[in-house]
Amino acid sequence: MRYGIYVVPAAIVLTLGSLACKPPKSAEELKQETQAAFNEGYQAFKDGKARATNPYMNDQDNPHKKQGWFDGWDKAAADKAAADAKAAADAKAALDAKAAAEAKAAADAKTAAEDAARRAADAEKAAAYRRAAEAALKNIHFDYDKAEIKAGERAILQGIADFLKAYPAAKVQIEGHCDERGTNDYNLALGNKRAAGALAYLKTLGVDEARLSTISFGKEKPLCTEAKEGCWSQNRRGEFKLK
Amino acid sequence: MLRFLIRTFLCLVAVAGLRAQQTEVVLTASSSAKLVLGMTPPKLTGLDVASVGAEFTAVLRRDLDETGVIATLQERLPAEGAATAAWKEAGAQWLLSVRIAKSASGDLQLDASVLDTSAEKGVFTRTYNVNRIVPLRQVAHTLADDLVGRLTGEKGVASSRVVFVRQLGDGIKEIFQVDRDGAGLIQLTRHGSLTLSPTLASDGRLAYVTYKGGAPEIWGQKRKDGPHERLYPTGPAGMMLSSPAWSPDGKRLAFVQGDRRGNTDVMVLELASGRVRRLTDGAGINTEPCWNPSGTQIAFTSDREGGPQVFLMQDDGSNLRKLTQEGSYNASPSWSPNGAMVAYVSRFEGKFDLFIHKLGEGKAYQITTGVSTSESPSWSPDERRLVFTSNRFGSAQLFTTDLSGRQTVRLSDLGACQSPRWIRGR
Repeated sequence: MRYGIYVVPAAIVLTLGSLACKPPKSAEELKQETQAAFNEGYQAFKDGKARATNPYMNDQDNPHKKQGWFDGWDKAAADKAAADAKAAADAKAALDAKAAAEAKAAADAKTAAEDAARRAADAEKAAAYRRAAEAALKNIHFDYDKAEIKAGERAILQGIADFLKAYPAAKVQIEGHCDERGTNDYNLALGNKRAAGALAYLKTLGVDEARLSTISFGKEKPLCTEAKEGCWSQNRRGEFKLK
Repeated sequence: MLRFLIRTFLCLVAVAGLRAQQTEVVLTASSSAKLVLGMTPPKLTGLDVASVGAEFTAVLRRDLDETGVIATLQERLPAEGAATAAWKEAGAQWLLSVRIAKSASGDLQLDASVLDTSAEKGVFTRTYNVNRIVPLRQVAHTLADDLVGRLTGEKGVASSRVVFVRQLGDGIKEIFQVDRDGAGLIQLTRHGSLTLSPTLASDGRLAYVTYKGGAPEIWGQKRKDGPHERLYPTGPAGMMLSSPAWSPDGKRLAFVQGDRRGNTDVMVLELASGRVRRLTDGAGINTEPCWNPSGTQIAFTSDREGGPQVFLMQDDGSNLRKLTQEGSYNASPSWSPNGAMVAYVSRFEGKFDLFIHKLGEGKAYQITTGVSTSESPSWSPDERRLVFTSNRFGSAQLFTTDLSGRQTVRLSDLGACQSPRWIRGR
């Protein structure tokens, strides 16, 4: 009993462990497994996809390594049969397509006329929109270092408001520009103020603020670059661009 | 108490004396007298191109003449190989001699030494290595900087750089960098759009405004030599962003945000936390923020009293006061590196000129005169000159001027330039 505290648990562990393990495969199972593997390999071989090395065969017995082996499967005949089947299917598809095309052509001829008419109408509408935009979106001009809308520019802004009412989908970006006199950064702020002034005036004419956006280019995008008042007055402007 | 004061005073005097001994300052920075420097032609050994010496002398002479503290001797030059006494006779207080030798490895070695002609003793000796990384032109700048440093105690700015905006095409402006003498042009941005208002942190980090996405965005570098990325998220459409300005410590970025009602306000972005604070609040334009060198105050342009004027405020928006007293259009403030002066642009007789407001005196001085417009002043790091743009030759070009306005030099002949910023070490 001296070593019982080691031996008894060890015996229990060994006994239970051996019971819990998988029992060894029987001869019948081994045979079945071998047959299944062989069948799989044989099927693959018949399909022309056999492995070059067969684990169950050495090279002398491997039909792939033997000369003149034939299992009755004719690859050329099989290829020809497949090609014939494909040709037949193609011919049928072509016939079907032709019939469908004839049926569709008749329908198309009818809708094409409608389409053309609709496209023409669309194009005309778009052209009218562009013409209206071009006519309405004129530049407004400002006094030096000022962002107030001059009385003479109100007609242009009214035209822009009318255009925006006539075309409810149109969105407009207002660009503020300045002449070359003054610093770059102050003119950027002044351009913002000018664009905001035009936006506020359009708002009083009933235009939805959400359809207008503002951007300032300061004196960075002049229309002309001569240092004289005729040029400066052109550059102190608000531009309206479709967005 | 009295004894304590006396002791403190004596201590201060001793420290000041020690410092003076250490740096051996020959000329104080405030003195307007210039030291006359004679330059013997460089002696070349192992070099078969004689023009190397001439080009080196030309670069160095231009650098020294623009320092404001050294004048190179140009007339009544002694014959080659003349004694020091002859140079002294000709008026040279210092005599610079340079030897350029080709070493075995193919690199050049440049030995510069300066002799005090009256004391007949050497005051400066230094050896420079010239190679593919550090070309001879760069060494000429470094030598000029070291000579100024020997003379005044503060290094010169000959090897500094100017960053500016240049128009490349219709609606396309990009940021460029050029050496202080107009050589070494480098393109810094390639956005293919309007790119404006560069600002440089003291470690060389760039920030600017670009219209690359249609609306203006603030881009820049979050770390030194890092990639250019968007620094401030663009908000709803119609928000205007402009005028970024790094704080002196490079941790905060002042910028300007405009709304759809036409107001523009100065904001400050803390880069680490991404927190944004609005400093100005009110109807009208507030733009062109510019920090003082300690980062506690901001100068900016505002039209709150009608026309644009320069105002000062604390970096939290308090203590607002008007700086410019005269003129109807004052803008583009630039605080001097030592904090005592603010340069700005003022409308004067129909065109724009540079002015300097001295904060201690509370008075403004006109720097540029003439019929052409001068804009965008930016201080040299040593506070002796200003870089600005002027259209005196037609297109807007870069110029530098000393603070008297008498010595105005064209920096480069590139046209369509704007918004120059002068920086040391980039």
